[in-house]
Amino acid sequence: MKKILATSALALLAATGSAQAEWPTDRPIELIVAFAPGGGTDIMLRTLAPYLKEILGAEIPVLNRPGASGEIAYTALAQSNPDGYTLSSLNTPGFLTMRIGRELGFDPAAICPIARIVEDPGALIVQANSPYQTMEELVAYAKENPGAVSMGTTGVGTDEHLAMLQLEESAGIDLTAIPFAGANEAKTALLGGHVTAIGLNVGEYSTADQNALKAIGQFAEERSVLAPDLPTAKEQGFDVIQSSERGLATRCDVPEEIRAKLSDAVDQALADPAFLEQAGQMALPLSYLSGAEWVEQMPGRLERYTEIFSLIEAGR
Amino acid sequence: MSGSKSSARGDRPDLLTAAIFVGVGALGLWAGRTLDFGSLASMGAGFVPTIICWLLIVVGLWVGFLGLRRAYAPIEPAKLRPILVITASIIGFAFVAAWLGFVAASLFLIVTSSIADHEVRMFETLLLAVGLSIFGALVFVVGLGVQIKLLPF
Amino acid sequence: MEFLDLLALGFGAALTPENLAFCLLGALLGTLIGVLPGIGPTTTIAVLLPVTFFLPPLAGIIMLAGIYYGAQYGGSTTAILVNLPGEASTVVTAIDGYKMAQKGRAGAALAVAALGSFFAGTVATFGLAIAGPTLSGFALSFGPAEYVSLMIFGLLAATILARGPVLKAIGMILIGLLLGTVGTDLSTGASRMTFGAIELFDGIDFIVIAIGLFGFSEIIENLEKTGASGVKVAKITRLWPTREDFKRAWPAVLRGTGVGTFLGILPGGGATLASFSAYSLEKRVSKRPAEFGEGAVEGVAGPEAANNAGAQSSFIPLLTLGIPSNNMMAMMLSAFVIHGLTPGPQILQSQPQIFWGLVASMWIGNAMLLVINLPLIGLWVRLLTIPYRLLYPAILLFCCVGVYSLNNRIFDVALAAGFGLVGYLFRKAKCEPGPLLLGFVLGPLLETNLRRTLLISQGDASVFVERPISLTLLVATALLLLMMIVPNFRKNREEAFKGEEA
Repeated sequence: MKKILATSALALLAATGSAQAEWPTDRPIELIVAFAPGGGTDIMLRTLAPYLKEILGAEIPVLNRPGASGEIAYTALAQSNPDGYTLSSLNTPGFLTMRIGRELGFDPAAICPIARIVEDPGALIVQANSPYQTMEELVAYAKENPGAVSMGTTGVGTDEHLAMLQLEESAGIDLTAIPFAGANEAKTALLGGHVTAIGLNVGEYSTADQNALKAIGQFAEERSVLAPDLPTAKEQGFDVIQSSERGLATRCDVPEEIRAKLSDAVDQALADPAFLEQAGQMALPLSYLSGAEWVEQMPGRLERYTEIFSLIEAGR
Repeated sequence: MSGSKSSARGDRPDLLTAAIFVGVGALGLWAGRTLDFGSLASMGAGFVPTIICWLLIVVGLWVGFLGLRRAYAPIEPAKLRPILVITASIIGFAFVAAWLGFVAASLFLIVTSSIADHEVRMFETLLLAVGLSIFGALVFVVGLGVQIKLLPF
Repeated sequence: MEFLDLLALGFGAALTPENLAFCLLGALLGTLIGVLPGIGPTTTIAVLLPVTFFLPPLAGIIMLAGIYYGAQYGGSTTAILVNLPGEASTVVTAIDGYKMAQKGRAGAALAVAALGSFFAGTVATFGLAIAGPTLSGFALSFGPAEYVSLMIFGLLAATILARGPVLKAIGMILIGLLLGTVGTDLSTGASRMTFGAIELFDGIDFIVIAIGLFGFSEIIENLEKTGASGVKVAKITRLWPTREDFKRAWPAVLRGTGVGTFLGILPGGGATLASFSAYSLEKRVSKRPAEFGEGAVEGVAGPEAANNAGAQSSFIPLLTLGIPSNNMMAMMLSAFVIHGLTPGPQILQSQPQIFWGLVASMWIGNAMLLVINLPLIGLWVRLLTIPYRLLYPAILLFCCVGVYSLNNRIFDVALAAGFGLVGYLFRKAKCEPGPLLLGFVLGPLLETNLRRTLLISQGDASVFVERPISLTLLVATALLLLMMIVPNFRKNREEAFKGEEA
């Protein structure tokens, strides 16, 4: 028994050793998507995969492992071999917020981003004929009528919800969060006048019917390329910064050179005019960041999110 | 009607139903014991489940009470063989599929599940297993792009 | 006439050889995945979505739509032949359809389902063309309060699905509701009823429960009752429906079409309610309610028509408002977005050929499906003559693949096997699983909308009676309840009297 184990361990070593030399051409690179087929992250990566395949010369099958806002996929990634043949999607704020007050099935420190692909800032949306045409008007009303302004989010700890909490804190108001199962449901409720406002990402807003919906502020440091005419919350005097970022990740113990190659491949694909055209049609706010740069800004954001989360606990 | 003695009253399937309903209700209450009940204006995670569980227990007791007063009716006798064999072959399929791929899993499932039947015809079963595995591999994995690996590697 | 011009424009766009080919491809693919239990159109469309990049917009959207309604056709085939509902809407078809198949009338059931679906599809498609833009405003007036009332109405209607006593059906609905609460609570983020299993964080998939309760437990029970050689279907006497069948089916199809078209417009759960609301309606208005659950042809015709009409009319909010009413429609929305199109009022103005081309292609697709499916009936029926010892391993395999492929994990398959055992227990207890599934589907909608309503109204429950649509639905629910209790009392008393005599 021991002998068999020893030999198989040796074989495994040999296999990983040779894998490193031949990477990435000797077998397919599995790309795990942490969300169901058809979602924003899924479509983005399925669109990107053929370009990566071309650049790396490897097959890249896309595998959906949806669930628990990404934890299932991250756990699967953490359990894979550190040979560069398993990648996974990585989304913030989910990846960062899931560790706040929750026991995780994987170690977040063992997962390293390869590259950020998209950064989509949040936006505050009202009906086109809403009585509140600026954030100031909405906030003024909310100040007089605490709790009367209802705001649709896509659940606790999502980027819309975090943005809402920041707005409450920054403006000193009390809003009522109404959770919906997805952005589309929230949009429907807003169009029917059942909630006062909703949060959407700028990318989502730019593909929505703009005769019916109106964005009154975006939660970015600087105005997004997709909405150059929309003032930021900061410009209107409210300190709300919230975006959702999507990218790729792998295990941290994958050899440095492989991770660098992957990161370069993503960078190259993002420069391909054919990809840019498709991304443009889908209104993907592309924003490449190398894994190292992305990792660098994570602790700061985590700290901020933890702070915001403590507001939830204090509030309820 | 068939129960001539007064002791042989009670509709057994109904009593089983009552046991299931009350059991599931109690299990739900236990599983949700730590959930916040909240208030009408701001319902906690436990509000709706708790109400459902209590309703279920009430309905279960009611079904049981009526069942007790009804005439005796037996539960159809159970056979263990199909239950065990089918369940084991289904679960086995998943493990084999995860480790060795679709083809091995499909062969395994069809061969083991055929034991559920008393008259095992070896040749026929093997033929069926091979045929269905090829069909399944072509239709599901190749054709529809179902995400299972075909072979161990 | 402007409408006719637009329709002509639509047919012009849909009848190009290329678009016809993609329509046929979609319909065929949809039929295939519909027939295979557990493989849903959602996954298929998701996988094909990036492929549509390389097609012209209309062709891509036509193909995806074809997969969607093709799967509706195909799904009823599996429900009728092997009692395996692949989604909520076919749970109802399985009740009487499977009974008909066991009585050797599978051909009649399949034909009625196909013809009823075609008729309903036609009406709903034209409904979409004529009244779509007007009707969509109505959909928006359904807020959280209205949904609560609608779901309560729907759940009560679901008790009619079971043949047994109402009390057992209510218990089964409650179990379904409880199963629906499993997973992460949307409003608070708390995990509920998961027993610590991370795989349950997102709740249980419908397919897992349906395949467990219907597929697996049916096989276990069949093997137990008679052994594999003993399961036989009555001899097929006649492939096509009789004149009598048609006479009984067509009013049911008409009513089902109405119910389905109307409910399909409502985003979020409307189409789910369609098929079993139609079933309840048929059982209510029938002169022979006792035949329901024993192979009544109306019980197949009405729900199938409603189901297909609902599938078509659920395009209305998507195309006119840009609101997807279910996961499938969300996927269709992505298909539009991929091509830089935003469904909504502007698209009707700026690119009418897209909207009208899709509408026309739906009708063409429905006609194609009829042509594909009618000759296939002979083949399907012959499938039933295969000895059960060969058939059950195949059904098992298809079920297992379907469940495993949901999330590529062992857990789901094991859970489905568990539900197989639970379903077996239910059969011993003479409890029917149909109402459980509907409770499971509607429960989360009921709960989230209930909580939303009271959040928005800040705890004031009077909103339910203050809003006219909600009030109407609640009154209808009360009437339905009354109608159910009164004859029941009478029956119970009759039974009690009989008991005393014996």
